[in-house]
Amino acid sequence: MSDLASVRPRRHAQAGFCVLIVDDDPDMAELLGRMLSQQGMQAQVATNGAAALEMIAASPPDLVLLDVQMPGPNGFDICRQLKSQEATALLPVVLVTALEDQDSRVLGIEAGADDFLSKPVRREELIARVKTLRRLHETRKELEGRRLAAEVQRKEEIRKAFARYISPRLAERVLRESRGSEEVFRNLSNRAAVVALFADLRGFTRLSETVPVSSIVPMLNEFFTELTAAAHDNEGTVFSMAGDSLLVGFNVPVPQPDATARAVATGRAMVQRFAPVAARWQAEHGLSTGIGVGIEAGEVVVGNVGAPSFMSYTIIGDPVNVAARLMQRAEPNEILIGPSASLSLHGMLGGAMPLDRRFVKLKGKAEQVEVVTLRVAPA
Amino acid sequence: MSQQKITVIVAKDLEDLIPTFMANRNKELGTLSVALGAGDMEQLRQLGHRMKGVGNSYGFEQISVLGKQIEDRAKIKDLTGLQTLITEYNDYLARVSIVYE
Repeated sequence: MSDLASVRPRRHAQAGFCVLIVDDDPDMAELLGRMLSQQGMQAQVATNGAAALEMIAASPPDLVLLDVQMPGPNGFDICRQLKSQEATALLPVVLVTALEDQDSRVLGIEAGADDFLSKPVRREELIARVKTLRRLHETRKELEGRRLAAEVQRKEEIRKAFARYISPRLAERVLRESRGSEEVFRNLSNRAAVVALFADLRGFTRLSETVPVSSIVPMLNEFFTELTAAAHDNEGTVFSMAGDSLLVGFNVPVPQPDATARAVATGRAMVQRFAPVAARWQAEHGLSTGIGVGIEAGEVVVGNVGAPSFMSYTIIGDPVNVAARLMQRAEPNEILIGPSASLSLHGMLGGAMPLDRRFVKLKGKAEQVEVVTLRVAPA
Repeated sequence: MSQQKITVIVAKDLEDLIPTFMANRNKELGTLSVALGAGDMEQLRQLGHRMKGVGNSYGFEQISVLGKQIEDRAKIKDLTGLQTLITEYNDYLARVSIVYE
């Protein structure tokens, strides 16, 4: 009886809204396709359930007209399957059933059908039902599009805000791993174990006295550019720049099990990245400059601190103070690592490298603290 | 059996579909007879169900009426009633005259 292949696409000139007709009766499929195409819709035909599922998976239509009684999976089976899958749950499904068959309608509702069309089919009823669902579907798609656009915009705003503090790579990771911005920001005010790194420019005082005032800011920018790049390369978070010093945190705002290693690598990279700049300044201005670095680990308070009109995302606590004091004690191109940070340093280096340990007196500390000194060759 | 024509009005824009539709109905008639001969009630029920759905969708109300009766008779395995209905269907297809409007 049927001369139709199991799957027969029928494309029409005014393609736009695409309806998949699933019916094993070729005459019925032909009739429905004709009525829909006259309304400027695109009609495709599947003559059995398996073919319909394949077509939907390959290219989802905008609406499915689904006959109930078919060989193989029937209309209820297909409807249930479509509604149970995330990708097709919102695809409108109209079950085509005999008018008097109330049981089928109940089963159809249970299977998740969006609407019913009575057989024999009345043209006016078909068009009215499809048009109604088309409007609903298009409204739903528009709302979904707006929601997605808003989500993209919100993430972009968060990314831009974060990029001021942390590396672009880390910002992407934060956004990817957090369920929403609320979670990200909630985690921005808490106590956390961090590794703090302070770095400053040695010879800055003489430099500021020697070079023209108009050159100071560009030179500082050059200095901070190299140090910030070193921090971001190691996924550190830049918390503050003041004068000629920079505070970088690790293990915040996202966990970094190798935070101490990242801090040490950052200190080394800062010295090495700044070396060509220092050499040029030496040549141009006859000034010797270098970088001093202090690193310490411990628990701090992380959060947005300040007034409503001016806030700063920062870390506050003893490890930060110790890192600052160590930085002050460090010689040019030297990294001083505090007692807490150096605990993990030994394991990190596998005990293979003898560490240069010494006791130093730090301002604000009653007793001397044992620190590890790392000299970094600028070359 | 009357030889009087039965006029059916079909929408003009479906005219090109009708030759295939009618050819399929005549094939269907043959299939119904074969199924009855084989006592295949399930096939008769399915064919009746299909006739019920498609007949009046094209404007052939009597095909839908006969289809429903065939579906119902097949469910209760009424061979005599089915034979009568298939004969009626044969008679209807022989007499139907289509007007396009």
